[in-house]
Amino acid sequence: MSAAGSNILEVRNLETQFNTLDGVVRAVDGVSFDLARGETLGIVGESGCGKSVTALSILRLIPPETGRIAAGSIKFEGEELTSLGEAAMKRLRGHRISMIFQEPMTSLNPVLTVGTQIAENVVRHMGVPWRAARERACEMLDLVRIADARRRLDEYPHQLSGGMRQRVMIAMALSCDPQVLIADEPTTALDVTIQAQILQLMLELKEKTGTAIVLITHDLGVVAETTERVVVMYAGRKVEEAPVEALFAEPLHPYTRGLMRAIPRLDVEADAAGTRPRLQEIPGLVPRLTQPIPGCAFAPRCGFATERCRVEPPPLVDVGAGHTVACWEVDRVRASAL
Amino acid sequence: MSEPSAAERPVLEVEGLVKHFPIHGGLLQRRTGEVRAVDGVSFSIARGETLGLVGESGCGKSTIGKTVLKLIEPTSGRIVLAGENISALKPGAMWAHRRRIQTIFQDPYSSMNPRLPAGTIVGEPLENFGLSRGRDTDERVAKLFERVGLRPDAMRKYAHEFSGGQRQRLGIAKALSVNPDVIVADEPVSALDVSVQAQVLNLLIDLQEEFRLAYLFISHDLAVMRHISHRIAVMYLGRIVEITTKRRLFSQPLHPYTEALLSAATAPDPKRRRQRKRIVEGDVPSPANPPPGCHFHTRCPYATAECKVTAPPLIEVAEGHHVACLRRPVGGDPGPLSIPG
Repeated sequence: MSAAGSNILEVRNLETQFNTLDGVVRAVDGVSFDLARGETLGIVGESGCGKSVTALSILRLIPPETGRIAAGSIKFEGEELTSLGEAAMKRLRGHRISMIFQEPMTSLNPVLTVGTQIAENVVRHMGVPWRAARERACEMLDLVRIADARRRLDEYPHQLSGGMRQRVMIAMALSCDPQVLIADEPTTALDVTIQAQILQLMLELKEKTGTAIVLITHDLGVVAETTERVVVMYAGRKVEEAPVEALFAEPLHPYTRGLMRAIPRLDVEADAAGTRPRLQEIPGLVPRLTQPIPGCAFAPRCGFATERCRVEPPPLVDVGAGHTVACWEVDRVRASAL
Repeated sequence: MSEPSAAERPVLEVEGLVKHFPIHGGLLQRRTGEVRAVDGVSFSIARGETLGLVGESGCGKSTIGKTVLKLIEPTSGRIVLAGENISALKPGAMWAHRRRIQTIFQDPYSSMNPRLPAGTIVGEPLENFGLSRGRDTDERVAKLFERVGLRPDAMRKYAHEFSGGQRQRLGIAKALSVNPDVIVADEPVSALDVSVQAQVLNLLIDLQEEFRLAYLFISHDLAVMRHISHRIAVMYLGRIVEITTKRRLFSQPLHPYTEALLSAATAPDPKRRRQRKRIVEGDVPSPANPPPGCHFHTRCPYATAECKVTAPPLIEVAEGHHVACLRRPVGGDPGPLSIPG
């Protein structure tokens, strides 16, 4: 059913673990989500919530010396990726599933021109001659609106600004017409005016190419302005998922609510005296992921928590219209003021 | 909180501050140019007040912080701290004034000795300035720990044992220990997760009200800036392009760059994306080779021929609202600008 269905990517009960000196870290602890064709899905959460590890797991980029996908399934166009051989995986990466990272300089080769780097990917995956691949590279730079693309082909990454490098990364990622683009904090290192340019570019290109996007970020503003559906992660688990409007209109998990109240808002008018209202803090710290967490991972920091929350993990419950939440006390949360 | 009193002399006054860094090149490493990191900046901060410095990378905001702290020497200009001109003081003479102006960094970890327990790190400035010794220091440090929300037993821990937010609390305790007048906070919450960021921002506001601290708060994040600042200066390529109260800046931005910054900032509200705003094109030019005239003219949709040749002075166009834009004269219409041509 899934192969022909509308989902291009299906992740089920994914568990990714790392061996550390402190023990086994359960970085991703039973996460499931779907990505529809042409959809933009946001994965949001704070440091250590497992959002980046989820992305690396999909691409099978977990370093085998320290980590492993311990359980679960990742299906791309119906094909199981967790058991796929490395050679087949290599054909997939950068071709049908692409990724862009926060810091483009770490993924660009400093001693090759950007034209060569984009063309290399095209030659490898599309099997076209070098000259055609360079043409393609030029087209791609044009597509990501780098002015004077032909001249830029012969420049090295250090000659480009940060925003320009991220454009090159996007050009490279899209050069083989991927079905899925995974973008991990693609604008976090950029200045706000450049961030706005890059986000707009990504959305325009998505319209043009139909590539589905998984956008991983800690920034609720970026999520609100670019995605259609959002997965909220906490301590390696998915705690809430909803269409973006529903999530921001009525967040139901106490953690999601906490996040939204903790951010200073630009869009809310200050009162006449210009006083500084207190931000709502989320008390306490993220739990250690080396110990099994018996109940809800957020319970120790949650104002709604009961005894049951501390011992029994809450299941994800569908509350309607594609909005799911993992919280035993969701009725009380919903009844309380946001 | 109450507005800082106007009658009192500002605790920090900066006038015409310039900092140029030389660029050396060629075989003989001769001076071939200079980066005009800060190019004639003036502002003042009252006791109990937060002045926010906002701008993108390379605008000179951090250089201002370092210069005011006298970690680097200004090329020219005056820095007056609590009535005393410190701009020309040599390091030895500066020592006596260092207690008055302290700093909080983005990454407090890099400024902490990994081999010293946290209590010693926080107590060090007290002993350095001869404010206390031995047991007295320990007691004061314990009080500081309590005040910034750290448990007293944390005094025996080492920096690596703290989380990011706790380390920032340590950094704040250290800055606070010598009872300063001014704290320069350079991106103090940028590296923190939002839930922890809220804790630190609340703490900074509480401490300011309790001790009447003046903050020079440097950040690229407009939402954080709006939360903590009383007044905000917007910088672009080494110059202040607009400076006014927080309220005016957000309700009636006058400089086209401020407008661009505000419209580029994302908001956690999906409804906003439909009213997508003007996105300013292009990159920030290099501060080693800034455009002539108004530095922003290369990206400004409203720029006229004159903007390309004449550098606009920062003038007060309305009470407490200074802007450096040729198209915003005194008494001009504060409404939207028209695009020329």
